[in-house]
Amino acid sequence: MTSRIADVPVVPQVDSPVSRLLPVATTAAAAILSIQPVHISAYAALAPAFMLMAVYHWAIYRPDLLPASAVFLIGIGHDLLAGGSLGVTAVVLLLARAVVVRYRRWFPDRAFPFVWGGFTLLTASGMLVLWVLHSLLGAGTVEFRSSIFRAVLTISLFPFASFLLGRTQRALMGAR
Amino acid sequence: MIRLSAPRRAALQRLVLPVLVLLSVTMIVVGKLDQVVFEPLRISFTDAAAPTLDALSRPIAAAGNLIDHARGVINLYQENGRLEEENRRLLHWQQAALTLASENAQLRSLLRLVPEAAISYVTARVIANSGGVYARNLMVNAGSGAGVERGQAAITGDGLVGRVVEVGTRAARILLVTDLNSRVPVIVERSRQRAILSGDNSERPLLEYLDPASAVRVGDRIITSGEGGVFPPDLPVGVVSRVNGEAPRVEPYVGLSRVEYLRIVDYGLASGLPKPVAGAPRSMRRATPVTTAGMKHH
Repeated sequence: MTSRIADVPVVPQVDSPVSRLLPVATTAAAAILSIQPVHISAYAALAPAFMLMAVYHWAIYRPDLLPASAVFLIGIGHDLLAGGSLGVTAVVLLLARAVVVRYRRWFPDRAFPFVWGGFTLLTASGMLVLWVLHSLLGAGTVEFRSSIFRAVLTISLFPFASFLLGRTQRALMGAR
Repeated sequence: MIRLSAPRRAALQRLVLPVLVLLSVTMIVVGKLDQVVFEPLRISFTDAAAPTLDALSRPIAAAGNLIDHARGVINLYQENGRLEEENRRLLHWQQAALTLASENAQLRSLLRLVPEAAISYVTARVIANSGGVYARNLMVNAGSGAGVERGQAAITGDGLVGRVVEVGTRAARILLVTDLNSRVPVIVERSRQRAILSGDNSERPLLEYLDPASAVRVGDRIITSGEGGVFPPDLPVGVVSRVNGEAPRVEPYVGLSRVEYLRIVDYGLASGLPKPVAGAPRSMRRATPVTTAGMKHH
């Protein structure tokens, strides 16, 4: 389903200028998606962490095309539009990217469930960090239950995101 | 670009992440200490992004409406029965309302009451929401260009949605009644008790500062009290859904996650939201000046 690291060309001479923008563009699109008003009662404004999915995917497969500076700017942009404390999303995404890049070499030639498992770990820690940050900022009264629900939703939707991102990656970068 | 040697460039690369993390943490701390420092940046960025968000949210809203239509078709028979029943009830109420309105008009002219100032409103569409557990607000596609001002109330046909906290030229941000920072002075319609509706980022805000001796019942209607001149009085807010626990919880009349269009109302209230004072502690810059409201009306 997803492209494996061994198949992606290490020297990015195949990439066109347009496809080089793909990781940043998809991550920015994920940011916009997470603030879309979805008019379904059950949704209750608990958007899945789409940006986390995008950052995870690109940090594994093409971290060179999603630099930390881009992640920072996207995080700040999201905070500005969503009305939350400026910098919180940037911190979480930067740390997520750093952690994934560090453990990148565990991922080549692994089946999808392993990748999904890694994402589950990342989401759990990410939600925890978010909760701690917001508790420190004075919003600690928020029940942990909503964070758990959001984490479950994010983890459940990851396969679709991974599939979509993998497809676009292969189509535009000619990885396979 | 400056030509750097490979080891120097590598060293610089290693610095990027810590610098960015430090920068983000600094921004968090600064934002906490001084609420308003980032507001101009936020407003200009929101204004710039508003047209794009407006355009992007339309297909998703259309898809949502399609799903609603499908659901409606499936439940057609039951829905029809329910609507007929509701229609009968509403016709009764219409008659009652007309009678009351004419009686009201007669009494007013008897007392020679000064007529209320005309209410103007702006209809706006929701183009983004906060999408999170930690903030409950909406972005709408009307700004100062359309006459929206800070502190104005946002309502739908069902009741109160929230109030305007940030205004740009093309867009504005509405703080929902469920947000952690939202404080609305309300009154329990049945018993005329005053209270404050405090959001806590959950679906059902708390009813606080109630007289402890009094009994609030499940099903009690909650409306705005107009205390402090912050919100106009008698706006429907919600019903009490739970009375046990630390404080009674209110289920808002408005389905806040389903709002697509709302009205921002200018009731001509001179006070409204005071401009936040830079450097003042966060607790002093709540949406409602609770203590002064209490003192003013004794």
